Amino acid sequence: MCGIHDLTEKDLQPLTYTPAFLDKIKGMRFFDPHVHMTARTTDDYQAMADAGVVAIIEPAFWLGQPRTGVDTFRDYFSSLLGWERFRASQFGIKHYCTIGLNSKEANNEKLAEAVMEILPQFIYKEGVVGVGEIGFDDQTPLEEKYYRAQLELAKEAGLPVQIHTPHRDKKKGTQRSMDIALEHGLEPHMIIVDHNNEETVKEVLDRGFWAAFTIYPFTKMGNERMVAVVKQYGSERIMVNSAADWGISDPLAVPKTAALMHESGIDLNDIHLVTYSNAVKAFAQSGQMNEADFEIAGNIDQSEKFNGSSILRGGQQPRIDKNTTIIR
Amino acid sequence: MAEYAYDQDKVSTLLSTIIRNKGNEKANNWLQQRLQVQQQTGAIPPFNQTFTAIPRFTGNDIITLSPLENEQLQQLLPSFFVQGWPLSRLARVWWLLQLPVTDKALYLDTLEKLFNAAEMNELAALYSALPLLPWPEEWIARTSEGIRSNIGIVQEAIMLHNPYPAKYLPEPAWNQLVMKAIFTDKPLHLITGLDERANSALVNILVDFAHERWAAGRTLDPMQWRILVNFVNENNLGDIARVLHSLNSIEQEAGALVCAQTNYAPAKALLAQYPALATEIQAGRISWDTLAQKNKK
Repeated sequence: MCGIHDLTEKDLQPLTYTPAFLDKIKGMRFFDPHVHMTARTTDDYQAMADAGVVAIIEPAFWLGQPRTGVDTFRDYFSSLLGWERFRASQFGIKHYCTIGLNSKEANNEKLAEAVMEILPQFIYKEGVVGVGEIGFDDQTPLEEKYYRAQLELAKEAGLPVQIHTPHRDKKKGTQRSMDIALEHGLEPHMIIVDHNNEETVKEVLDRGFWAAFTIYPFTKMGNERMVAVVKQYGSERIMVNSAADWGISDPLAVPKTAALMHESGIDLNDIHLVTYSNAVKAFAQSGQMNEADFEIAGNIDQSEKFNGSSILRGGQQPRIDKNTTIIR
Repeated sequence: MAEYAYDQDKVSTLLSTIIRNKGNEKANNWLQQRLQVQQQTGAIPPFNQTFTAIPRFTGNDIITLSPLENEQLQQLLPSFFVQGWPLSRLARVWWLLQLPVTDKALYLDTLEKLFNAAEMNELAALYSALPLLPWPEEWIARTSEGIRSNIGIVQEAIMLHNPYPAKYLPEPAWNQLVMKAIFTDKPLHLITGLDERANSALVNILVDFAHERWAAGRTLDPMQWRILVNFVNENNLGDIARVLHSLNSIEQEAGALVCAQTNYAPAKALLAQYPALATEIQAGRISWDTLAQKNKK
């Protein structure tokens, strides 16, 4: 008998080893309102589901290099509403998205015009919970032009706006983003200002906007700093996300931050607000999100299967033991 | 109208009545108002926007037809099937029927753009509408394209309970549909026209596929053998025998059904080894339908 036949069903079960942080958040549910899943693998979806992430928002962003034509934008928007949403459903995760022209690519005027033309086709679609992520990168006049134009689109559609704030000259960029939004007659409660830090948070909260924090290694917030922010500012209108993408990032940033908050003695109710319900409340203003749908997504539909896969059973996703050299 | 291959007026009216019966007042008023705008302006952007926005007003409750509604629909469009659809899908299909067919090029262009910008539920509605679209032969390439989709509800909208593919797809595309359905574990008995469109090219593909799976130590959907019923010959008799002798009872019954229904005498003779199965089949206690129930996924 060759080795392969000695494998039993037991050998194909997932590892029993669980990282320590999972113990601290057992039974908790998380909502990651900013994560770029098109850049991630099924391993990430699996890990997120295991850690309690029940729903996510994928904002439209750039892809790490500039696009050269409107058709690739159309296909990208379309994949956020199609293939990516379907992929997420395989793991019991409810996938929403925000649609918009990102600030970096707003600087290519000819292309930006063409993208603006197709945006109305997408922002009214089911499960589009906002216009985003839009705002400033380099704070150029073209960025401002298309930021303003998209604020108008959001206003007309009654959708929340997810604002990307710049890395460079962040404080000023954040202030300008809020000023312009108010200038266009948008209400602060319809605006989620993203990528905050210790320097920006106070003004954002004081002016009545939602303050989102991205837990992203090296370049944005670390979760120890996040714990301190919540200790100082409380849990009202604050939310945490991973913004995990094609860079060195962590799709488990939200559950890990919840675990660290728990360990640091932050009240469970506050943890729930900043890692789940504040974001749900903010984006549910779109009328396109219903918490009951998270449950439905959790019941994985057996008719929705991966191409060619016939090993789904008992509501389980196909699992692979990463430690075996055998692939079946 | 010659553009449509059925009585479009009556179907549109009936669907409208069904939608009204299932929808709430807000949804019905909105659809009515959008229809008026459409009839007055004939403009394409609001047509597209309505198509997209429909679930916001109708919701996605699953519809069940009353026996009367079902009968009326079956009379107008035999084998067109809307049971189990979300209301939004039915409303979208009805909405597509409101697009004027006076300008064929414009019509095709509008649908092409709807397909290209569609999300999953929109795609399911568009493909579900195939049996109702005008100029039916124009949607063959689009249907073949849709079969390549990897998204479950889109595949199902084309493959299951949809009379369009069997009626219009050329043989290679039809065979691709069946194989894709097998690869993606669809309930084969829900494919409209599965028996009628069986062909020897498909049978050869299926037999090769079976050999490949067996060689890899994997299993097969026993329902696939149904497609061989009229194509059993000396080349595949051994495969049918293998299925008939299987230790898996569903496979065995599938093999027995093929032997019972084929006209190929050597296969009929095989069944004589299993008189109990032959009796059950004769009595109607084993059929492809009972097998489909046992084989439920």
